[in-house]
Amino acid sequence: MSRRVLIIDDEEDIREVAALSLETVAGWDVLVAGSGAAGIIKARENHPDAILLDVMMPGMDGPTTFKELRSLPETANIPVILLTAKVQAADQKRFSDLGVVKVMFKPFDPLVLAQEIAATLGWQEI
Amino acid sequence: MSDAGAVVAERLTELWRKSRPTILERIASLHSVCDRLSRDPGDQAARNVGREAAHKLSGVLGVFGLPQGSAIASSIEDFFLVPTPPGPEDLSTLRRQIADLDRVIASRPGD
Repeated sequence: MSRRVLIIDDEEDIREVAALSLETVAGWDVLVAGSGAAGIIKARENHPDAILLDVMMPGMDGPTTFKELRSLPETANIPVILLTAKVQAADQKRFSDLGVVKVMFKPFDPLVLAQEIAATLGWQEI
Repeated sequence: MSDAGAVVAERLTELWRKSRPTILERIASLHSVCDRLSRDPGDQAARNVGREAAHKLSGVLGVFGLPQGSAIASSIEDFFLVPTPPGPEDLSTLRRQIADLDRVIASRPGD
């Protein structure tokens, strides 16, 4: 079953490597956005099966983007995985309390990223 | 290596060539921050620049097969999270860590 995943990250190299991984290893359709605001628009227009969301972004950061996605009827139920290079103890609880599916860490292994997402979301096809 | 693994490895090499200049700019930024802190250890703006550069390097180097680079960058990010101004020994340690990053990047040439 083909899946559609939206990657929201301000870093182009991370977007490209993550997209390469999900498209090549898993065969999923990938959408990308370079900011929280652009990601919300893409999520509303394309209804992805999941969103991979960077935490530290200029402007609208990951947690703020997540809250906005949750407030919109058409995106409220899309599972969101936060992606970050480092999380401090206080942030760990804050992220958990938000209601994200999982916090995943950079750097990720491009060969196993899709498997980790599939396992997290209970997708069986990989 | 599987077909997908081979494709990913080949594309990663291409993406590394494309990303390397930005990565080198971030490391140059860390050198500059170190110089600024040598002149003014309380320069909070410099620390913020350093923390952001280290954070981004920490996240990206490992995806290009340089986990040691990510680990060093993460340690540098920790340095900038300490709220007190760094002393001379702290800055020496920081310079060594940035030099280690230079060596890690050089170990994966762009060409």
